[in-house]
Amino acid sequence: MDELEFRRRIYADPETTDSDVIAAAKADENKRKFWNEQKQFDKQLKQAVKVDVPEDLKHKLIWQQSANEFAIYQKRSRWYVAMAASIAFTVGIGFTMWYHQPVSIGGQALAHMQYAETERAHTLLPVDLEQVNAKLASFGGSFTDMIGDVEVVNYCHLSTVRSLHLIVDTPQGKMSVFIVPERGDVRVPAEFEDKQYHGESIKMHHANIMVVGNKDADLTEMKKAITDRIHFSA
Amino acid sequence: MFARNRSGSSQVLSNMKAKHKRYEALVNAFHADIFRYAYWLVKDRSVAEDIVQETFLRAWRSLDSLNDEKAAKSWLITILRRENARRFERKQFDTVDIDDVSVHDETQDAEGDVQDRELHRLLGGLSDEYREPLVLQLIFGFSGDEISQQLNLNKNTVMTRLFRARNQLREALERQNEQRGQANG
Repeated sequence: MDELEFRRRIYADPETTDSDVIAAAKADENKRKFWNEQKQFDKQLKQAVKVDVPEDLKHKLIWQQSANEFAIYQKRSRWYVAMAASIAFTVGIGFTMWYHQPVSIGGQALAHMQYAETERAHTLLPVDLEQVNAKLASFGGSFTDMIGDVEVVNYCHLSTVRSLHLIVDTPQGKMSVFIVPERGDVRVPAEFEDKQYHGESIKMHHANIMVVGNKDADLTEMKKAITDRIHFSA
Repeated sequence: MFARNRSGSSQVLSNMKAKHKRYEALVNAFHADIFRYAYWLVKDRSVAEDIVQETFLRAWRSLDSLNDEKAAKSWLITILRRENARRFERKQFDTVDIDDVSVHDETQDAEGDVQDRELHRLLGGLSDEYREPLVLQLIFGFSGDEISQQLNLNKNTVMTRLFRARNQLREALERQNEQRGQANG
């Protein structure tokens, strides 16, 4: 191995373990000397390359990673909270709107008829005028006379409207009378029906009254009896 | 179902802990050399620090893909070089060619013998293509093969650059000694 090649190899890697380089160094003292000088020089280079590392760098690296992760976590949880809040808000608005939407009560009255069927069974004692009026009083009304054979008188909620439900036995079959206090957001249809029942309503000054009977029942008489006998104070 | 969820989340937590441990080990083992390497790439301590921080942040994000701990060193170097290239693209228009200005930084003023400072200056004065393989060899003890893999260069090219790097350093030192000798004589 000539001088130049030897130098090239040593310069390229002073710590080489290549056997031909080692052999060449063994054979030539000058080469050994050169190599040793290079090793010495490399030590200095290694020293020079070792610049000071900022003392806090290690902690910064560990800290920045946790901070970054925390930020991601926070961002994510903020996103979740925002989402949850927005859903809750929408549900709230939706529910409020649903709750406050004008209630159509005819359907509710019909639904109540089913309930009335079972209700009737466990009230054997007939109801007298006093009982009816006592309950009607909370709506500011009263009957001057009984409107027939009243079997049941009870408060009930048609949708969100507290109403008084009377079940009356008539020659036309059982009829239900709902006395619904006047409320701005309540729509009472003039007539309504389903497969089994049909109903008509009477619009009065302080209340709406719905009369529901069997499909074929004539409600006229009952309506007349009610309009004649019910009175609302002021 | 709840129990399963709980054990699932504790699994996640312990995975997280393990990841933290790995990351800290990585930082402990390599941050100093990675910083030095970055410094010799950019020759600016604060920029080097930024790049190192960015490098370790990226390393954290893809820590799961690091399967071989032995490869960690070259993995980090790869991330760092990419990060540096990215920075270089961004800053292409407002950087000054460092070869045209005298390299001066705070480490030069730090304590250390004259020759150390001299070598530091000369190393900074080497062109990037010579300095980078040399620094990889000096800092990480990489072999010619490892350097050629890391820099994606032919091994002969790497060996030639290493040779020229040291050759230039020797010549520059000798020139200076002569000058000094003449001034003294």
